[in-house]
Amino acid sequence: MKNYITILISILTLSFANAQESKPLRKVETIEIQTSAQCEDCKERIENGLNYTKGVVFAELNDDTKKVTVKYKTSVISAQQIRQKISEIGYSADDVKATEPGLNKLPACCKPGGME
Amino acid sequence: MKKKILSIVTFTFISIVSIAQMKGIVYGSSSQVRETIFGAKLYFTHNKSGVLTDKEGQFEVILPKNLPDTLIVSAIGYIPDTIIVDKKDRFISLEITLYSEQLLREVVVAIKKETHSVSRMKTLQVEQISSGELRKAACCNLSESFETNASVDVNITDAVSGAKKIQMMGLDGVYTQIQMENIPYLRGLESSFGLSSISGTWIESIQITKGTGNVVNGYESMAGLINLELKKPLEMERLFVNTYANRFGRLETNLNAGHKINEKWSTGWMAHSSGMFGEMDNNKDGFRDLPKGNNNALLSRWNYRGTKFESQFGINGYLDTKYGGQTGFTTNNPNNLYGVQIQSKHIDVFAKTGFLFEKRPYQSIGVVYNLKYQTVDAKFGNRNFEGEEKRGYINAIFDGIIGNTNRKIKAGLSLVYVDMMQHLDSNKTLPLKNDRIEVVPGIFGEFTNIGMRLNTVLGARVDYHNLFGWQFSPRLHSKYALTEKTDIRFTVGKGWRVPNFMMDNISLLATSRSWLVNQKLQPEISWNTGTSLVHEFKLFDRKASLVLDLYHIEFVNQLIVDRDSIVNSIVFKNLQGRSFSNSFQTEFSFSPLKNLDIRLAYKLLDVRTLYGGEVQQQVMLPKHRGFINVGYKTRDKRWEYDATCTVFGQSRLPQAILGDGSYSTNNKSQVYPMINAQVTHTYKLWEFYLGGENLTNFKQKSPIIDSANPFGSKFDATRIWGPIMGINVYAGFRYSIHRKKQK
Repeated sequence: MKNYITILISILTLSFANAQESKPLRKVETIEIQTSAQCEDCKERIENGLNYTKGVVFAELNDDTKKVTVKYKTSVISAQQIRQKISEIGYSADDVKATEPGLNKLPACCKPGGME
Repeated sequence: MKKKILSIVTFTFISIVSIAQMKGIVYGSSSQVRETIFGAKLYFTHNKSGVLTDKEGQFEVILPKNLPDTLIVSAIGYIPDTIIVDKKDRFISLEITLYSEQLLREVVVAIKKETHSVSRMKTLQVEQISSGELRKAACCNLSESFETNASVDVNITDAVSGAKKIQMMGLDGVYTQIQMENIPYLRGLESSFGLSSISGTWIESIQITKGTGNVVNGYESMAGLINLELKKPLEMERLFVNTYANRFGRLETNLNAGHKINEKWSTGWMAHSSGMFGEMDNNKDGFRDLPKGNNNALLSRWNYRGTKFESQFGINGYLDTKYGGQTGFTTNNPNNLYGVQIQSKHIDVFAKTGFLFEKRPYQSIGVVYNLKYQTVDAKFGNRNFEGEEKRGYINAIFDGIIGNTNRKIKAGLSLVYVDMMQHLDSNKTLPLKNDRIEVVPGIFGEFTNIGMRLNTVLGARVDYHNLFGWQFSPRLHSKYALTEKTDIRFTVGKGWRVPNFMMDNISLLATSRSWLVNQKLQPEISWNTGTSLVHEFKLFDRKASLVLDLYHIEFVNQLIVDRDSIVNSIVFKNLQGRSFSNSFQTEFSFSPLKNLDIRLAYKLLDVRTLYGGEVQQQVMLPKHRGFINVGYKTRDKRWEYDATCTVFGQSRLPQAILGDGSYSTNNKSQVYPMINAQVTHTYKLWEFYLGGENLTNFKQKSPIIDSANPFGSKFDATRIWGPIMGINVYAGFRYSIHRKKQK
């Protein structure tokens, strides 16, 4: 009997734990991503690149923190895909590094160390 | 002995302590370099005198007794900075870095590009309209570029020719000097129809200066100065296309292309073509509400940038034909209808050369050259006007400093040559001629002093006109920074111009009233004085600003167009008695949300002259005017909404004899609103816009007097105070490939 109860409790605990992890996302989410943007041109590239991406409601880069606030529809695009898009434009997004082809497309002032 | 040593030690200690001072070094940082600043000023807020940095950028300043205090550091071309200094900061050494205005403008303004702003830095009161603001309305030609602005009004002066003129401080556009990149423009024969020769899509920004402008720009700015900055080859779009159509049948297309040839050379091309194909007569008076016709212009400009020498030159051509008057009117006119036919064309060559001195970066010499040939042929029914003008202009300016960059000096020479021919009614019994050759050499000087809080610009020019003699025009502008957020400006200056009574008033040919000129017309001279207050503040933690200005213009002499003395004539004469303009304007701007801008303005105009024996308000000029503009841009930057509402108060109308022979009784106009709105959608390189003008469909009833008998003595199409056409709907698109910044 004791064993049975233990098993039952562990199953219930596990299911609760799982339930917390698979809590459904809201239809529209807002996230903040740290980018390697340096200047006005960078801000335009990131914002324009994201604003025309399917699923993004809007993207706004903060000039002081260089973090981009993105509001997006979860059914169309995911946060990781957004970071991937930023890296394709040529900038790092949180822990995702900028891609080589993206970096090469940027003018000198936008590459890391370009504004110094 | 011990006492002595103690006293010496004490004395030394006290002296060290009492002369509390601070020293340091000031650097200036711009996008290219970071170096020490010579002549940067450092001063405390409660201490009037300050110190300047030496050649190595070093300074030593004595700390005031009352600490903490704020130390202000400023230098020309850099954004000033402040440091709070406390007792504990004695004996410290500071390293201060100031950032270049150019650099910071790029970064700071990027937070939200202000499309419309009143300059805080300039000594004169300058309002700036940037390309962002020009996008808010259709802006296909220059007259439409002022639709969202409260300081400059655009009016139609008659019901048949489609002529549009600007107005500043209640005075006709001829009293405002218009320049294209500091080259006088739209004067002489182009004063009435010239606004359609520049397309709004050619313009990068517009600076509106109230009060007489700098003496460097000439003597003709009496009410104000409008400077048009056209797009430059290296900053303009690589390719730009704009197409526009409206419900009246107007079609327009514009094309711009900027190209970098090599490190030193670049070129820009701008083309504009528009046509009015619709036959519109909404008020059913038998006359076209807008003339038909077409309008084409082309501008080509070239830039050369070397190490010691810079130059720009360009050529601009324009051809405009209009057919107005009764519906059905064509050039051969088989049915003898009343027609208005106007053809204007010009060819204009301009050049600017600049010489820089390597060893003296604060000195330069610039020369501006301009050659222009223009003709205007206008026929209003049976009356005709022919005009031809050849013009040459040279202006050489030396720019330098005295001692340090806080004292600037400009001096120069100018020469104007004009060969003007204007003939009126040559086929009638009383022809009028106004031919003249003008040679006007001039010399000018301007001294600018940048103080801690007070900036002063004092200038004077002396010109010798071959027909009218010596003219001396002094001008003073000053700006006092009352607080970091408030500026007070004061200006007083004299301006003058030689009137062209025919071209300046060409709309008055749209009537059978005879033109009488019995005197030799003298140059128009006026004194303009004014004061303004610009205050920036936070309202509910959001950015807001308030501008108040008051100007008084007093004419010493003026060309008087008197429509009141003799009922069926227009008398042109010199001023007798007083003529003045008082204008008061207040403008409040506020951004309640990050992407929402609101502007409210009120203007009071009191413009009076001795007309018909009485000092009366100028005709067709409302005394009160209200204005509100709201602009909203969505967060994803894809949609932009803009709406403007202007309310025009009542104005005085000249007395007229109506078609049935009776005199007009109600000589006052109605109060009416003018509402315009536009929606713009951006998609990558494309922009689509849809808008409306005069959304309340307000029309002036019966704008033409005796429209049934256009060749009769009572015909008068000049008594216009409101819109003739009703609601307008337009749509268009723009495609632009911008130039990416390369560093």
